[in-house]
Amino acid sequence: MDSLVARYSRPATLNRETFSEDLQDGLHDDMNPGLSLKFAMPPVAQPSAWLRAATDDHANPNCPIKIAHGTTTLAFRFQGGIIVATDSRATAGNWIASQTVKKVIEINSCLLGTMAGGAADCQYWLAWLGMQCRLHELRHKRRISVAAASKILANLVYQYKGMGLSMGTMCAGVTKEEGPALYYIDSDGTRLAGNLFCVGSGQTFAYGVLDAEYRYDLGADEALELGRRSILAATHRDAYSGGYINLYHVKEDGWVKHGFSDTNPIFWKTKLEKGEFTNVTSALD
Amino acid sequence: MDHRPQAWGRPRDDVYGAYDASYLQANGPNQHTQSPIVTGTSVVAMKFKDGVVMAADNLASYGSLARFTDVKRIRTFADTSIIGFGGDVSDMQYLDRHLTELGIDEAYQSEAGHTLNARNLHKYLSNLLYNRRSKFDPLWNHLLVAGLDEESRPFLAAADLLGTTFTSPSLATGFGGMLAQPIMRRYVPDEAAVAGVSRDQAVEVIRECMKVLFYRDARSLDSYSLAIVTKDGVELRENEKLEQQSWAFADRIKGYGTQTV
Amino acid sequence: MAMFSQNPVLNGPNYSFAEVPKDAVDGLREHRFNPYTDNGGSTLAIAGADFAIMAGDTRLTSGYSINTRYAPKVFKIGGTTSSQDDANLLLSVVGYAADGEALQERLDAICKMYRYRHGKPMSVSACAKRLSTIMYQKRFFPYYVYAILGGLDEDGRGAVYSYDPVGSFEREQCRAGGAAASLIMPFLDNQVNFKNQYVPGTGVGHELKERERLPLPRNEVEVLVKDAFDSAVERHIEVGDGLQIMIITKDGIEEKVLPLKRD
Repeated sequence: MDSLVARYSRPATLNRETFSEDLQDGLHDDMNPGLSLKFAMPPVAQPSAWLRAATDDHANPNCPIKIAHGTTTLAFRFQGGIIVATDSRATAGNWIASQTVKKVIEINSCLLGTMAGGAADCQYWLAWLGMQCRLHELRHKRRISVAAASKILANLVYQYKGMGLSMGTMCAGVTKEEGPALYYIDSDGTRLAGNLFCVGSGQTFAYGVLDAEYRYDLGADEALELGRRSILAATHRDAYSGGYINLYHVKEDGWVKHGFSDTNPIFWKTKLEKGEFTNVTSALD
Repeated sequence: MDHRPQAWGRPRDDVYGAYDASYLQANGPNQHTQSPIVTGTSVVAMKFKDGVVMAADNLASYGSLARFTDVKRIRTFADTSIIGFGGDVSDMQYLDRHLTELGIDEAYQSEAGHTLNARNLHKYLSNLLYNRRSKFDPLWNHLLVAGLDEESRPFLAAADLLGTTFTSPSLATGFGGMLAQPIMRRYVPDEAAVAGVSRDQAVEVIRECMKVLFYRDARSLDSYSLAIVTKDGVELRENEKLEQQSWAFADRIKGYGTQTV
Repeated sequence: MAMFSQNPVLNGPNYSFAEVPKDAVDGLREHRFNPYTDNGGSTLAIAGADFAIMAGDTRLTSGYSINTRYAPKVFKIGGTTSSQDDANLLLSVVGYAADGEALQERLDAICKMYRYRHGKPMSVSACAKRLSTIMYQKRFFPYYVYAILGGLDEDGRGAVYSYDPVGSFEREQCRAGGAAASLIMPFLDNQVNFKNQYVPGTGVGHELKERERLPLPRNEVEVLVKDAFDSAVERHIEVGDGLQIMIITKDGIEEKVLPLKRD
């Protein structure tokens, strides 16, 4: 009541702008380190429609804000663990924003996340997931299961459903209780356990190769080669994929990185030494 | 989220509704203060070696109607700074009231008179404008703030409805940006040239600019306000008249610009 | 073009359920105000072995008008005073100038507070992460800003971090941002990362060996920056007037402003 009286006790025209208080609040929030769940929202009735108008480079190639998007990622389980492979291209509209994106995010020594969709969404929420996983370790004195970690992420993104997040991610990891485990989580809130996933605009091309050659009893080297070959197929046919092939192998005692290698020499090696891609000419004239 | 390869990761129409580009356009129904009604046109200002000269005509237009012909669009702040307003007149009056209160508060709070110099005032106003744009409720003005900075050098800066700020030896809002800026830039192309311009020269250039604007800006008037701010304070003359107009060029004008017959 | 539209009839695979709506979401939509504008300009950053260089042109435009010929885009961050004499980081912002300034002030306040609380300046890697979270805080109402952060890492090597408007970031050797990014970046790929450069006489066709990537010396990088901007000015209307260069080394930050074409 007092505030109501105070509000109307002077002419409305003389009400001072209170923006300095807003600035103080903002500054105060900034001074607290850590990942906060407090997000600034546009002051409109439909924030998600507004956000889409400003950022959807597919529906409107001339939209003002072009967010970097990631593209082809895959992961599959086999007898020797899990292979995780990605390309490294980020596009903002038709512009290749980067050819060197690290789309495999190392959450901890036994857990990997992959990045497809909005690059910032994946980076931020997987970093946030890393924080939750570490907190779990500190509270329970043992590492979090992949199932639990993926569920934390799925529940989180489900809270933000319909607001415009864009991520398709896979959590690959290994724990004593589960063995190697693989989950797919996307920004619709879907969470699926499975043996084999490809995610991103190049997913169909990767599936084509992976489904044809995949067996559960692949050897480790065969499996790595299959992961590499599937990404190569996607970078070859999907314009939004390319750059470098990022390869990881999740073993019983944690993940091992198998290089971040340029697709171009791999392509020519595959073509010239293995006789694939014969539709592409190698003649120099 | 769309899972089809050609639009992977983008919003789905059946979830988010069709893409609505109208958010990015300023057409369609408007709320009050979402577009200006009664407006003021250009404000022009340039620095000289001891201070800044600013001018704005006394017209408030209602669309194409020259509605109010005695609206002063330059105000002083604490006898040390001046502010010129382009754009919506109601928002100008709101800002005017706001600044009056701010001036009173500041005068009471500090013992040695005012603490806000022109730079501080400009920062304050640009924060205010940026904050309002962030609420999607902009103050539809383009402001020029002039005075002296903390080292008593001439200070001139602009802030617009989006909170964009910039500073330059000469500034102009609205049509002035196209018609007056080139004239002023001849005299003060950069900061170094300011030291070579005297007060009388600057006033002369500004008067010339007002004349050019009156010739070509259909929303302008021949009665204007002229303010000069130096370390000695503000000199504000609110009923200046354009003198020595020459419309001799008018009968040579045929059609638009390049047309000759 | 049909392939890129979301029309389910023309477009092979479509949603398995629900008619695609033709109209936008219903409900109140009172505000028709576009809070963004593009103020043009371009920025550039290159990391060297023991330095980082950040540059930006100083033109600020709105539409076809030049608002001012001197509006800096590169800022010192994290000094103890407003003069920023002891700053250890550089931030460049390009896009919508008001958002850029708001972001710059916010990051500076955070770095200053960190310095006050911890008694040491913020490291570039820590600041890079913090900047990312700041930008992501506005994920649903983004800063329309392409930011680049520069400094020296723990080993004294030059570090450059580049950002998209909602805060995804990556450490890179070099990065161009803003209006002329598409003109400058290919040039940098070739001249800094030696993309498509091969050692002569090492073979023909696919056997050619790539030129080895080595960090460039400072004088060469400075020339590259000037050349990149001179070229961009020739072909982009929103770039020109002045070139602001900041170079960070272990001895501090040097700033210089060179003229560019003003047409």
